[in-house]
Amino acid sequence: MSSKSSLLKVILLGDGGVGKSSLMNRYVSNKFDTHLFHTIGVEFLNKELEVDGRLVTLQIWDTAGQERFRSLRTPFYRGSDCCLLTFSVDDSQSFLNLNHWRKEFAYYADVREPESFPFVILGNKVDVTERQVTTEEAQRWCHENGGHPYFETSAKNAINVAEAFEEVVRSVLASEDRPEHMLPSDTVDLCRKPRSRTRCC
Amino acid sequence: MAETPLPETRRCIYFFLYDRSKVQEEGDLTRAGICYFYPEDTPLDQQELLCGQLAGVSRCVSELSSSPVRLLRLRKSKYAVHMRDNFLWVLSCVADIPDVSVCAFLDQLIDLFCFYNGPVRQSYQLHSQEELALRWACYLSNLQGGSTELHHIFSCLKTIDSTHIDPLLLLKAALILQACQRCPLVLAGCVLYRGRVVSTQMAPELTVKVMVHETETYSQDHRLRANGVTSGVSPPSSTVTTTVFLTPSELHTLHCPPVDNSCRSNGGPQPLARPRKSRLSRTLSDTPIADQDPAELDPAHFPPLSYQTLPSSPRSSLSDESCFSPSPSLVSTPLRSSLVSRSEGGTPPESRDRGLPNGTLPSKVTGGSVGGSSGVSVQEGERLDLESETKNPSENPEVCSLLNGHRSEQDDFSHQLSESLAKLGPVNDQSSGRSGQGGETERNQAKESKETGGEAARDCGAHSEASLQPMLLYQHRVRGLVLALLVEPSFNTHPSAKDEVYHSSLASLNGLEAHLRTTSPGTPGAQGPYTFAHYDCIQNTLTTNVCGRSAGSQDRPFVKATALLHSHFSHSDTLQEAIVRNAGCAVYGTRTAAQETYFLQQGASSRNSGIPNAQDSAFSLPSKARHRLLKHGVNLL
Repeated sequence: MSSKSSLLKVILLGDGGVGKSSLMNRYVSNKFDTHLFHTIGVEFLNKELEVDGRLVTLQIWDTAGQERFRSLRTPFYRGSDCCLLTFSVDDSQSFLNLNHWRKEFAYYADVREPESFPFVILGNKVDVTERQVTTEEAQRWCHENGGHPYFETSAKNAINVAEAFEEVVRSVLASEDRPEHMLPSDTVDLCRKPRSRTRCC
Repeated sequence: MAETPLPETRRCIYFFLYDRSKVQEEGDLTRAGICYFYPEDTPLDQQELLCGQLAGVSRCVSELSSSPVRLLRLRKSKYAVHMRDNFLWVLSCVADIPDVSVCAFLDQLIDLFCFYNGPVRQSYQLHSQEELALRWACYLSNLQGGSTELHHIFSCLKTIDSTHIDPLLLLKAALILQACQRCPLVLAGCVLYRGRVVSTQMAPELTVKVMVHETETYSQDHRLRANGVTSGVSPPSSTVTTTVFLTPSELHTLHCPPVDNSCRSNGGPQPLARPRKSRLSRTLSDTPIADQDPAELDPAHFPPLSYQTLPSSPRSSLSDESCFSPSPSLVSTPLRSSLVSRSEGGTPPESRDRGLPNGTLPSKVTGGSVGGSSGVSVQEGERLDLESETKNPSENPEVCSLLNGHRSEQDDFSHQLSESLAKLGPVNDQSSGRSGQGGETERNQAKESKETGGEAARDCGAHSEASLQPMLLYQHRVRGLVLALLVEPSFNTHPSAKDEVYHSSLASLNGLEAHLRTTSPGTPGAQGPYTFAHYDCIQNTLTTNVCGRSAGSQDRPFVKATALLHSHFSHSDTLQEAIVRNAGCAVYGTRTAAQETYFLQQGASSRNSGIPNAQDSAFSLPSKARHRLLKHGVNLL
């Protein structure tokens, strides 16, 4: 079973312009484009990787950060195995909005226990010199909100991006280390229910 | 091949391609000249009979009248005809399809073949008849399949039902295309979903051609899937490139997109090799340059001349027609003289056509052409209840006023034209500057002269066909979604072009596909107590609330009346509004240069006394149409 590739759906959320699309492109295609359009709705790319001897296919869903695209993106939250909350270290508002994003995700993804759901926090654009959010602030927030892993990344300079996504895989596998999660993609939705039920009993 | 067209939507009765060069001597068998015949199970005797007769008639008529035959009408059937080189194409349709639609259908079919196979003569040298027969059958079934009768009447594009999807998704599709255009060697493209257009950067007639390949690969894919090849972990996505052939004018339009989309199909044929530079948006950044480009001051670019009001001629393959170029003397005939002779029926078609600046001729409404519409009205004379503002009867004043408006340009143009002709010498050079315009006028001329022909340039087709340029069609499929791009031939050999396009579009295509797949198909909606059809001549699209492929019995009169009115509109350029009625219902039609709209109010008690009457309920149709259609985004104000 472990030799079989399993599909993990992870979703990038965060304010518009914090670099979600760039992070995805950097990780999957190792490319960076300063002139990306706004993402409309959702987009996704697949990436196969091996973490701790296990082969997984990471399906990374990139979403539109702007409020006006909300109705387009929210239907795709369901079935996510992990949520990457992204902010930009040079924009304190995007950091303050993390709470909002977490709530929106929990609501639309229908997560029963947001506390135990694997979130990973990314502070992007560390290549920018004028920071508005310190590492300590971010780490404190992660600690207070369920002890989520925190990564400071730069899609532009390819700093920490791969590490962050690998951590995503680890945290998903750690929380879902059960054979039923090795089923192909189409059944991911169904798998979620039994898991949360076993958890709450 | 044969699985797509259902019997009831089949609009083609016969279609054949006949090569006259194979039948020269007395002893030559007619069958030797038959390259393709549809339906393929027609007995050979019958094939020979039809081909022999029609080839003879076409040739005879065209030689007598020195202009090409476009339509042969027999007592019970009619045949659209296309002659080029030694080839003769004939298509016969069910009777109630308007003349313009039949001709458009035939033209589309030939264009399609040339788009995927290149010049016809060359294709038949390179491939076996059987192989090409498969392709003809495929194109035929593609053009016939899957759309409604209304679509057939207008020969329009099948578009995605935009009322049920978020407009932002249309924007997303457009952005995907723009992102691709930023990649090297990419000219233009379109996004298709399940055989329907989501967004396109190309002229409608080019989009139609591109779609055929899409539909083919889709149905193949579908069959595979149905046979148990299930989608794996990742969505099945694949890319293909195929060689396609573009006419010089299509290529020209792609290289420098027109400011105004309506100028499609009128670009001068010489491809302007613009330096390709990276840019953010073709539509924005390139337009001003294109405006000032002196190379574009081509005779074919005068807007009034190039503007097409005939939706029935969405053809850009000027080259196809240039074999019937009139002699230079005719081309440079002073406009005024043609005007003088216009009012008389016996004017030679060549000179008649120079008349109108917009390229169409306000001929008399020829009602006989649209026979068979028994459900609508009985007498020809009663068919059209013209509104008072519809200025129709006297043509000459109109023509004059139109001409006055553009006289200077016209003079200018004819001057340039004769100049360029003088340079070019004999008629059928690969005359770039002229053949564009030549094709234009010929087309109209072809429309005009029903049964005429031209010996003038029998053998020039080779020239025009040789000018077809090979390009590549790149397709990237993500399930039901396809990105189709026309790219330069060097795309395949370029080190990074393909990768760049692939990577810049993959994520968005995945996303768009997911969005479209989860969008509910939408219920047909409350239909309202009316029926309408709105045809956009520029984008070649149709909006209608007549649903389903087979119009229900209550929609039959509407469809017939629409066919009838469309036919009249195409014949008479000055006709703007018309009401066609029978005892039970009345259909209102109105058109501008850019659109045609047809409207039927259901359940209206018809107070119809038979003579013109201000109380007549039909006269309230225009205002009803204006109000009702606003909510469908159709503005008739």
